Amino acid sequence: MGGTTVAASTLLSACTGVQEAQNGGNSGPFPSTPGWRFAFVNHVTTNSFFVPTRSGLTDASALLGVPEPQWTGSENGNVAQMASAMETAINSKVDGIAVALTDDNAFVELTKRALGAGIPVIAYNANAAGNYPLTYVGQDLYLSGFRMGQRIAQKVTSGDIIVGISQPGGNNVQPRLDGITDALKQSAPGVRIQSVNTGAEQAGELNAMTAAYTGNTAVKGIYAVDAGSTAACAKLIADRKLSGKIGGGGFDLLDDTVTGVKDGALDFTIDQSPYLQGFLSVLYLYLFRLSGTLVAPPVTDTGLTFVTKENVGPYASARSRFEGGDNKAVIAMPGSIPLPPPSVLSR
Amino acid sequence: MSSKPVLLGVMQVKELSILLVTIAAGIYFTVTSGAFNSLDNYQTIAQYVAPWSIIAAGQVMLLICGEIDLSAGFVFTLAPFMMMQFFVNGWPLWLALLGAIVVSTLVGLANGLIRTVLGIPSFITTLGMAFLLQGLVLIISNARPVGTPKDSGVLEVFGGARWTEFLWALGVVVVMQVVLSATRFGIHTQATGGNPVGAAESGIPVNRVKVVNFAITSTLAGLAGILQGTRVGSYDPTNGGFTTMFFAVASAVIGGTALLGGSGTVAGACLGALLLGIVFDGFNLTGVSANAFNLVLGAAILGAMVLNVTLVVVRNRIGSRERT
Repeated sequence: MGGTTVAASTLLSACTGVQEAQNGGNSGPFPSTPGWRFAFVNHVTTNSFFVPTRSGLTDASALLGVPEPQWTGSENGNVAQMASAMETAINSKVDGIAVALTDDNAFVELTKRALGAGIPVIAYNANAAGNYPLTYVGQDLYLSGFRMGQRIAQKVTSGDIIVGISQPGGNNVQPRLDGITDALKQSAPGVRIQSVNTGAEQAGELNAMTAAYTGNTAVKGIYAVDAGSTAACAKLIADRKLSGKIGGGGFDLLDDTVTGVKDGALDFTIDQSPYLQGFLSVLYLYLFRLSGTLVAPPVTDTGLTFVTKENVGPYASARSRFEGGDNKAVIAMPGSIPLPPPSVLSR
Repeated sequence: MSSKPVLLGVMQVKELSILLVTIAAGIYFTVTSGAFNSLDNYQTIAQYVAPWSIIAAGQVMLLICGEIDLSAGFVFTLAPFMMMQFFVNGWPLWLALLGAIVVSTLVGLANGLIRTVLGIPSFITTLGMAFLLQGLVLIISNARPVGTPKDSGVLEVFGGARWTEFLWALGVVVVMQVVLSATRFGIHTQATGGNPVGAAESGIPVNRVKVVNFAITSTLAGLAGILQGTRVGSYDPTNGGFTTMFFAVASAVIGGTALLGGSGTVAGACLGALLLGIVFDGFNLTGVSANAFNLVLGAAILGAMVLNVTLVVVRNRIGSRERT
């Protein structure tokens, strides 16, 4: 290979070396372990949404004394490329795989093969029916949509609402829209949903939302079920000076979204804690291996935290590592904690 | 018998230097990763190589006659959805597959006719076609992936069974190399790119050659799309696209095809795809994460090309010394 490549990979392996030297291979009360290598297969590896996820997996691996997991997959949702990356991970005999199941079929055989070879596989961020991950760490997407629908019904009881969706049918967004639809059917049957296919590019998302609103200015609310479209909602409502006049809300914590909640353009946004999706996945894989399968990883809903004007403070000011910022310092607790929704027991 | 003529003969094989670079890459990853030399990993590499070399086999022909097809990646995306469209409307699977291939050919035919009859440069013609096809895919699929039909003998042959995708790729490369170097059509293709005016004046139907090559490229892209989707088990509207097309063109150029036309070989493009596949797989295997990945990939491609060009210079020097 050429000199540049050698230099680059030497540099990279030097970095890994430092990492491994820091992590002595054991941690706290746990016995020393081999440097277990975990791989994360992701559908949009360079997307800013997953920055906190990567902080989470880095933190967990440092805590547990294992090398920093590999972050691989596709930059643009290419399922074939994700499948190849997962296959490569299996070939290189990694010690655990976390995969975002953005496709129903592509990962079934690969998961079987990995489990057959003694490699634990868990799903994170996106789940799919008919697959065989040991568990799922991420938001319960349908439930999050359902709760959002109930929330919308508190504000809007009749008329049209616009709901932006970046990828209709995508396993990581469509269930939310289905949840909203079902909740509104129960709680506010007079509300009609007009879904807008906004595409995955952020500039295009704003254009699509604006066009949909311009075509129907009588709408009672502008909502979205993915990060980019929610930011577009916030901008659209602010641009057209609709704050407080119509409902608005969505998912995740892009800067425009947080600003929108703070300024009142959006009534709420839902935090699914991408940090925990990385942190817990590593922790679960580690414990599963350490205990020889005894500590089976539990299904974990990483969140349904409604961020509203009352609790948006730390999100807007902390630039926290837990939400994609660069601030590693301890964040001060607020003086009082807003009441969460009342607990419900299933029976 | 002296070994010199043999050596000289070997030295004149066009693909020698890229072959050496590819072997060097293989040795590098063998040393850095214990898992590189395993049958499972060879299969993974083959999965990277197959779609790129199938599309590249067509792109080489087009590049040689001075054209390029930017829409090939979206024909790749479209073909499986056309097949499913025919299939769910009651066609038997083999006929649906054939139908999808024919649609792919027609797209290439349209590209070629727009290029030659209206005289619009292929860059802009096929760019427009690329977006048009992407939109078509999103509409047909409603932006949703579709699972492959289960338990189909036809699909087992077209990517379903292990290694079939790669075998198709090898077959395509062999056939297209023979077409290029041993048929009248192949000679015409090289003449069209090497010296268009001279070719036209000596009676070569330059435009017809180009149209046929557009059709070939598109047909192969459609085939590659069906093979890959079937192998993965899911036809996905995010597969293919510009990324796949560029990797195919890159394979061709790395393998010695001139971007400005006139010369190139299909076998070289296949080696180019193999080099890219080894590098892609190898860095994943050694655990390079996403942010650094493209840096390393880019550096490896540049490094490999520098090495390749150096080898060519050395080869020519030795060759001329031997001859004198």
